[in-house]
Formats: sequence, structure tokens, C-alpha cells
Amino acid sequence: MFSTELAQTLLSGVLMGLIFSLVAVGLTLIWGIMEIVNFAHGDFLMSGMYISYWMYVLWGVDPLLSLPVSAVLLFVLGVVAYRLVIRRILGAPMLIQIFATFGMMILMRYVAFYFFKPNYRSIQQTLLTGNIDLHGVYLSIPQLAAAVGAFLTTGAVYVLIHRTRVGGALQATAEDREAAALMGIDTDRMFTLAWGIGAATAGIAGSLLSTFFYIFPEVGGIFGLIAFVAVTLGGFGNVAGAFVAGILIGVVEAMAGYLYDPALKTVFVYLLFLGVLFFRPQGLLGVD
Amino acid sequence: MFAAALVYPFFFRQSFQQDLAIKIFLFGGLASAWNVLGGFTGQVSLGNAIFFGVGAYAAAVVQTEWGWTPWAGVLLGMAAAVGIGVLIGYPCFRLKGHYFAMATLVIGEVISTLFMNWKWVGGAIGLYIPIRDDTWKYYQFGTTKLPYYYVTLAFLVSALVTSAVLLRSRMGYYFRAIREDQDAARSLGVPARRYKLAAMGISAALTSVGGSLYAQYVLFIDPHSVFPMMLSIQVVLIAILGGVGTLWGAVVGAMILIPLSEFTRIYIGGTGSGLDLIAYGLLIVVLSVIQPRGILGFFRKAGAA
Amino acid sequence: MKRRFGKVSGMAAAVALAALLAVPAAAVDTVRIGAIYPLTGPAGATGAELKDAITLAADIVNGKYDLDLPLARTQGLPNLKGAQVEVIFGDHQGKPDVGQAEAERMITTEKVVALIGAYYSSVTTTASIAAERHKIPFLNPESTDPQLTERGFKYFFRTTPYDDLFAENFFQFLNDVKKRKGAKISSVATVYENTNFGTGVHNAIKANAAKYGYRLVADVAYAEKGTSAIAEVQKVKAASPDVVMPASYTADAILYMKTFKDLNYVPQAILAMDAGYISDEFKKTLGKDGDYVLSREVWALDLAKRKPMIAKVNEIYKKRFGRDMNGNSARSFTGFLVLVDAINNAGSTDPEKIRESLEKYRLSGDKMIMPWQGVAFDPKTHQNTEGRGIIVQLISGEWYTVWPFDLASRDVVWPMPAWGKR
Repeated sequence: MFSTELAQTLLSGVLMGLIFSLVAVGLTLIWGIMEIVNFAHGDFLMSGMYISYWMYVLWGVDPLLSLPVSAVLLFVLGVVAYRLVIRRILGAPMLIQIFATFGMMILMRYVAFYFFKPNYRSIQQTLLTGNIDLHGVYLSIPQLAAAVGAFLTTGAVYVLIHRTRVGGALQATAEDREAAALMGIDTDRMFTLAWGIGAATAGIAGSLLSTFFYIFPEVGGIFGLIAFVAVTLGGFGNVAGAFVAGILIGVVEAMAGYLYDPALKTVFVYLLFLGVLFFRPQGLLGVD
Repeated sequence: MFAAALVYPFFFRQSFQQDLAIKIFLFGGLASAWNVLGGFTGQVSLGNAIFFGVGAYAAAVVQTEWGWTPWAGVLLGMAAAVGIGVLIGYPCFRLKGHYFAMATLVIGEVISTLFMNWKWVGGAIGLYIPIRDDTWKYYQFGTTKLPYYYVTLAFLVSALVTSAVLLRSRMGYYFRAIREDQDAARSLGVPARRYKLAAMGISAALTSVGGSLYAQYVLFIDPHSVFPMMLSIQVVLIAILGGVGTLWGAVVGAMILIPLSEFTRIYIGGTGSGLDLIAYGLLIVVLSVIQPRGILGFFRKAGAA
Repeated sequence: MKRRFGKVSGMAAAVALAALLAVPAAAVDTVRIGAIYPLTGPAGATGAELKDAITLAADIVNGKYDLDLPLARTQGLPNLKGAQVEVIFGDHQGKPDVGQAEAERMITTEKVVALIGAYYSSVTTTASIAAERHKIPFLNPESTDPQLTERGFKYFFRTTPYDDLFAENFFQFLNDVKKRKGAKISSVATVYENTNFGTGVHNAIKANAAKYGYRLVADVAYAEKGTSAIAEVQKVKAASPDVVMPASYTADAILYMKTFKDLNYVPQAILAMDAGYISDEFKKTLGKDGDYVLSREVWALDLAKRKPMIAKVNEIYKKRFGRDMNGNSARSFTGFLVLVDAINNAGSTDPEKIRESLEKYRLSGDKMIMPWQGVAFDPKTHQNTEGRGIIVQLISGEWYTVWPFDLASRDVVWPMPAWGKR
């Protein structure tokens, strides 16, 4: 009995963690390339969730199918955010950058609030429903599908960054902006791309999440904070690091809640985070 | 301007107007306090709510547990805040820039959660400070806001005075050196960590006083109201709005942001649509883009301190 | 001559005196009442419902409606020369200090004669402190924290019954179910958010469980609005309680039900303490998955079977706002009518007179849409002593009253069917 529950907790933690990973990946991409902490990232996620929701309600499209739409729209949103706001504060002190994205966060969140009201919404009938019973361990199929989707997307981003030419250019820009510019890389384009991809991944995560999580304007807050922790844990700019960190956080949260006290489970995540920060400041997989 | 502040309550007698001023003074003071660490010394902390909450709880607990005067709580709070500040600073000051900021943010959340589950201080239920008749000893006034007004004003003034003194002192000089280039400062013999801790301590103590005053004004505190992340961020926002690292920036920022948020809530927020928060967000974005050096940036020539 | 002079001056004096005494009644055109509710923030959806309820109540007072409710059949307040009531709404955003500021603003700037609000117990606390200081009556229709009426306030009045009573109702209900269904119920578990509300409910349940002889086998507190409830539900599952008693607001209520389903877990019954479970969102979002949940309630639509007026009022509300009323909106609605009725009884907008009127106020159960015996405020605490709770069950998207059995509209389904068998 005990081991079934432990397995359940572990697996559920991993599933959730994969979603955290995906959200963190987009954030770490943006951070790695231009050293800007995007406070509005959670709200990109929220936007993705609403896009899927409305496509479901208005046209009956399942979130897994509206996922590409979400990705494209969020890509555009990311580019717009970069062009309108971020580009103008590239040289500003870190603090200002934090606040610009923070302002975007509030703006996006409350525009959603205004149009969609604070009601909690949920997508009831998805293509995949039900759960699998593995010897007493129950895995919800929508959650499983979302986790798989997150895993695949993260993998795709990883491949993009590490195995394509564009990815190479992104990496170069991240390493040394001036040198990359000297080598003929259009840094402005790289930044735009980073924001687009970063936002798109958050949008995809949103679509995936909408299959089993409830949707409301402030949902970005919860996931945003976890994404920050994941990015820092994994090393700013490190996609693989964000992936590992996301899963780790999911597992730690689940285990802490089960083994110890659910009311304090996020504290454990935070303590883990602080521990890594103090003893390995570059993150688990980061390079100083 | 100080004279204007002194006589304001006699021209503006409405409770709401005085409340507005009190909030401006409080947040101005908090932002000034933050500025010592964040603006002068360049260590961006996003966890100043920790000290605010500590001060608030100190003031409340001494009354609910031992029946003392809240002024004792103010002192206790300051001591606790400095202690906690140093405790946090010691490991955290090893971190740079964004890492430091995130660490303070997270520590703030940890402390908030801990207080939520700490039964002795009321846990999630919070603490209700017993209502008494108007007295200075217990710093409570039911029928008039004037004492609150002047005490909070005094708070702001002391924060400003502290900042001014620091600006011109050797300590302040070291702070700025650390902000500009910590390694260079170190190589010149400035014990960086010691001074960062000092900045943290001063900032924490001042913020804690603000928290204690708040507790007495509202007479009810719980972790949600005194430890939230939004509070830390709001304070920092005010400092930035006015102009980080300047003496008056905090005041200017508070004078703009507080009325803005209060008025939008009153005139627009009442419809429940969140328009007030949209306005808030828009302002922040526009300002960051147009004038990152804050309002005071409009009045300063580039290159001034 | 002298006599006539005397007569004339006597009459003149009489006329003068009459003129002096005939002070024209203060022409009161509107009676202003402040309403403080969470119009934004996590309870924004509920705040909207409550605002609608009060808006409707104000319309009923101001207009002419053929309903057996106070002031419905007249236009405005008859004892104040038909003065209309005007509601000033304020948003407290779920924050106690904002609630306090709003209360002060309404009293001093908007010059309201009374306040109503605020749903969240923590905000009601601070807002009513402001009212007490300014000596303005504050009527609270929805907050259930016990200490609200234990502060010895003179201007604070509460119409809704509170958590201690409701927790007691739970165990009375369980006793009744044992008798009627022969069920074996001996253990309960609480799952609650660690806020003011949840912790208060847990404490009340703990105390009453002991009193009624039930074992509390699990006590799971959680931080609200988390990302996953798996750990918490597992803890509950492991303790095998007969009945699970959750106290959550909407977001978590939905999350937990979904998690129960995901983990394929049903106890004999889920008996919730209102809040998120009776919200519109809950039943809309979960659909069939929310079925068979029990909740304490203060009100249910099917009480209309015994009180047709309830259906009539709900019709009006639904037509106007597009949804049914629920326990929250019904209480705000009723509280507002009580307040305005008391003002009418006082025949004055003087806050002191309103307060006295409230102290003496009585309303019988058949003149309200609540299933209470009536409204009468305890002289010391100003708590309504004639209120009571009911237990309702959600079946196929509708809430049915199942207890007290003599008010029930259908028989309770016990135990909860397993997930696969629905």
C-alpha cells in the first residue's frame, strides 16, 4: 500500500513537473539570450490557456488540436512584446527591465480579467479522457498526454538550440552579444526570435495545461513563480537545466506534500532552490 | 513642501484625503528604506515585505500576548528585522544581481508561508489588535486620523533624513562604490560584505517601523496583508518611479503611484472590471520604456549622481 | 377691547407656536447605503453575484413588486415619504486594509447612513471596525467567522448563522443519516485551506466531532490555489475516513474534486462547508463529476416547493442576470432588505436611530426567501438567533435540499456512488 502511494506521488510529480519544465524553457531562453527576467511569462501561459478554451467553446476544437494556433498566436505576441517594449529597454538597468515586464504582466492579466471575468473555466470533454490504472497507481490520461506533449516540445526546443544553425546563432548571441554581431549575426533578429519562441512555448504549455487544469486570469501567477525557480535552479539560459529543474520541482513538491505537510510543500521547493543557489550558484547545470 | 505637509490635514479634513496622505507617507518611507539597500548600494532586494511583516507582527504580538504598548513592539520589530536581515544577507550577498533578487523574493515567500502556519502568531487567521480608547500609549485613535498622520509623516522624515545623512557620509560613499563595481571596491580595501550588511540592516529596521505603524492603523494583520510579494514589488516600483538612488525619488514615486491606485480603484474599480489594474500596468510599462530613470530623471542632467 | 386684544394675541401666539413646532420633515430624497464586496480578486465572481443580489433588492424596495417581502409592495420607504434607496458599491479586492479604507470613504465622503458587506470575514472585521468608530450601523449577511459577533460591538449586526452552528448541523445530519439509512459512520476527515475561513471551519468541525462522538482521522491543511492536490488527497485516502469534510474556495474545490476522480477515490460522502462547492463555477465546470457532493447551505432553490415566493424572486434574478441565485446571493439579498426595513421602521436616517431599530428588529420566516425561522438579533452579540443551515446535495447539476428531512425535497443519496458506476 505504501509503495503504491509513493509511486503515485512520484509519477504525479513528474507529470506536473514536465509542464513546469516547458514553461521554464521559454523563460530560460529569453533570459539566456538577453538577460531579461520576463515577469509576464506566466501570463503568456495564461493567454495560451484562454486561446484553447475559446477555441473549444466557440468551435469545439480540442486543445490538442488548437495547440498550433496557440503557439503561433503566442509567437506573434512575444514578438510584439519585444518590439514594442523590450527593445527599448535593452540598455536600461536590470531593475527597469524587471519592471517593464512586470507592467506587462499586470496589463495582460487584467485585460484578461476585464474581458473574461474572474470566473474559473474548464474544458470538460477533451479527446482523451479517463485514467489508466497501473496496479493501483492512477494516471489521468489528459495529464499524461499533456506531459508527453511538454516533453516533446522541450525536446524540440533543445534540438533547435543545439543542433540547428539558427540555434547556433542564438547561442552565440547569448554568449557574447558583441562578438556575435561582429560575426554578422543580426542580434535584433535573434532577440525577436527568442521572445517569439519563448512565448510560443508558454502558449503550448497553456494549451496542454488547459486539458486538465482550470483557467482563470490569475493562473499565470502560480506557474510564473515556479518557472522562475526552475530557471534559476537549472541555470539561466540552460534549456536542459530548465527541463531537469522543472521535473525536480514537480517531484519535490509532490513528495513534500505527501510525506510531510501539504500546507508547506512549496516551502520545500523554495528551500531546495535556496540550497542550490548558495552551494552551486550557477544552477544545477549552469555554467558560471 | 514640508510646511505644506504639516498643515495639509487642516485644509483637507476628509477622512479619505488624510488616509491617502498617510498611505503616501508610509509607502514613501518604505521606498526610501528600500532605496538604501537597492538604490544606494545596488542590491536589488524583492523581499522587503519580510521586514514590514516582522514589524507589523512585533507590534501586534506584544499587545496580544503581553499587553504591552505597541511602541515596545516597534523596538522589538526593529531588532528582529535587523537580525533577520543580517541572517538573510550573510549567505545571500554572495549572490549577484538577478540571483540575489530572486533569492530575496523566494525567502519572502518562505517566511510568508511559515507565518501562515505558525499558530502562536495566529497562523492564517491573523491577529486582531484589541480596540481601545484613543491613547498615545497604545497608539490608537478611533475618532481622528491626525496623530496617525503626524507619526507617519515623522516616519517618512526620519527615513529621508537617514538617507540624506548616508548620502553624504563615508558609508554612503562606500555603498555607491559597491554599487558601481563591487570587485573594484574590494580591491581598494572596502569590506563589501560588511557594508552590504549594514545597508541591509538600516533598510530592514526602517521598513520594520513602517510595518508596526501599519499594524496600529489597521488593527488587523495576517500573512496575506503584510507579507505578500505584491507589497515588496509595489515598494520597489515606487522607488523606481521616482528615481532609484535619489533622495526624493521615493517621495515623488509615492505621490504619484498611491493616488493613482487609490483613485482608479475608487472610480473604476468599483465596477469590478479590473480597469484600475489595467491602468496601473499600462503606466508601469510606459514609464519603463520612456523614462527608466524615473520621474526625477526628467529633472536631472545625465551624469548627475 | 382688552378682551379682544387678548384673544387676538392669544391666537397669534398659538399660530406662532404652531409655526415654530411645525418643522418641515427633513425632505429625504435618497437613503444612501454603502456596500463593500470583493469585486475583483480571487472572489471576484462571487462579488459580482452579491452585487447583483443587492441591486435587485434595492430595486424591489424602490419599485412596486407583488412579493411578500419587506417594502416590496410600496415604492421606496413609506416612513420616509417614499424616499428611494441608493447603493454605493465599493471593491475591497479581498484585502482587509482596502476594506477599511472603503468603509471610511463611504462614511465620510459618500455619507452613507449604513454599511453592508463584506463576504470575506477578514475584510468584514476591519471594515466594521471603521463603522463602529464612526458609529455607523454595519450589517453583515455572509461572513461566518464566529469572532465577528464576539467583539462587543454596538453597531455590528449579523444575519447569517455562523460556522460553529453549521459544523454542529453536520453532525446532527450524520446522526440522522445513520438512523435512516443504517449507515456505519464513525470517522471524518477535514481538508481545508489554511486561511481564516478554512482554519475556522476545521476548528469548528474538530470541536463538534468530539462533542458528537466521531473520530477525526485526518486533518489536512493546504495552501490555497496550488497546482496539484495529489499529495493532499492521498493523505486523506490513506486515513480512510467515512466522510470527508472540505472547506475550500472555488478554485481548490474544483481541483480537489478532479483529483478525487483522477485518483479514483470516493468516501461514503463528501460533506462540504459551502463556499467554493456551492458556487456556480463548481457545478458548471465539473458537470457530472460534481454529482452527489453534499454541502451545508443556507438556502436552496428547491425550497420553493414549500415557499413559492422563492421561485418568483429567483425568476426575476435569473431573467436579469442570467443565472440562478445561491446561498450567497440569497443572504446578501435578505440582509439588504432587513437593513432597509429597519431603516424604514426607524423612520429616520439618523444612524443612532437605525441602530436602535435594528436592535428591536423582528422579521418572521414567511417574509423572506431564507429557510430561517426569522430574524431577531441577540441583544448582546447582535447575532441573528433564528437562522439555521440546511444540507443540500448536487444531482445532475441541481442542488436538492436533503436535510432537515422535513424540509427536504428529495431523499439523500448515500453513500456516494463510485466513479465508474455513474
